[in-house]
Amino acid sequence: MSQTTENMNCTDYKEALMADPGFNDKSGHAETCADCQAFSTEILVLNEKIAAAMEITVPELVMPELPDIDTKNVVSLSSRRVVSKPAWFAIAATVLLAAVVGIRMTGPGTSYGTLQEQVLAHVDHEASALLPSTTPVSDRELSRAVPKDIAIMNHDAGLITYAKSCSINGKDVPHLVIQGTRGPITILLMPDERVAEVTTFDGVSIKGIILPVGDGSIAIIGDREEQLDQVKENVLDSVMWST
Amino acid sequence: MNTSNAMGDRRLKFDRLVAVYYMDMFRYAAWLCRDKSIAEEVVQEALLRAWKSLDALRDDAAAKQWLLTIVRRENARYFERRRLETVDIDNLTASQSALLAEAPNEELNDLREAIYGLEDDYREPLVLQVLMGYSTNEIAEMMGLKQGAVLTRLHRARLKLKENVADEVNL
Repeated sequence: MSQTTENMNCTDYKEALMADPGFNDKSGHAETCADCQAFSTEILVLNEKIAAAMEITVPELVMPELPDIDTKNVVSLSSRRVVSKPAWFAIAATVLLAAVVGIRMTGPGTSYGTLQEQVLAHVDHEASALLPSTTPVSDRELSRAVPKDIAIMNHDAGLITYAKSCSINGKDVPHLVIQGTRGPITILLMPDERVAEVTTFDGVSIKGIILPVGDGSIAIIGDREEQLDQVKENVLDSVMWST
Repeated sequence: MNTSNAMGDRRLKFDRLVAVYYMDMFRYAAWLCRDKSIAEEVVQEALLRAWKSLDALRDDAAAKQWLLTIVRRENARYFERRRLETVDIDNLTASQSALLAEAPNEELNDLREAIYGLEDDYREPLVLQVLMGYSTNEIAEMMGLKQGAVLTRLHRARLKLKENVADEVNL
């Protein structure tokens, strides 16, 4: 469903109105259609009544006991070294998963057998990227992390809160984090990592998928309860390889 | 700035945010979980989490969305912990039915019941749009959906409400 308002017929108009009673009817359809004018009035009345029905009474605020915060050491989010609880869960889950799938993470020079292992090791390496956030990266940060010679990406994948250029197999790989319904979701765009088929993997509390896309692949790793199918569709719709 | 001043400023900023957005936080939580007692717990947890991560809020203009996102996550965590069963509208607990019992008239009560009976996927974007005033684009961002999916859900939500209450509610 879209809200394209040029050349609307009655069905388009009514559908748009039902989805958003405040939509901007640039076509002026209702001005020339008595039936749609009546329908518009009906939906606006319904909407006002829905709003009234939703206005439940709110109990008096009881502020919880707020713990002291060490404000001396509060620094900006980007340079904070403290890893939040969800990130700890992600790290713990990754390490557990690594143990299950037999990943060797024993220091510099470690070689990883599969792309899946490298992806997980990289997510673990940059665990600080997994901080929950509501602050989107700027267009500039996004375009720096996803240069045009690698891919063209818009913001439709979700709320992108982290965007950096990283390396997998010696190749530049845009590393992004979007905020999902169950916490941060890692996305690695790997234009040079060709895979034959979709690979899925599960951990104690995370799960992931590597999708073949053109001559490369895209890895998506999120919370175990995250609806990755929906995320996958959004990511695929928002990325286009340049090569 | 010394530590006590910094702490005082932090608390002042937090109290202001809560004063402005507490009602929205509670109503959003209540319509997400459909239970006023649970909503109170969810909001308490959300306030604690917001307090601890207040430094992550860089743009005050984004405060409402930030707080509602925290409420949304706390609600998900609550149900993840409790694994509560689906609400049966004919067999509600006292705190569940409290949400419905306070409508000022029968017409609004019928509509409130119909909203209550909507599936989560339809009820949540409707609350965000009608009660919280978000655009479909903003709702898509908050729910991690594409705008088209939000429009479809909102369309279906209103269609269901219209079908359910057209006889009772004077449209």
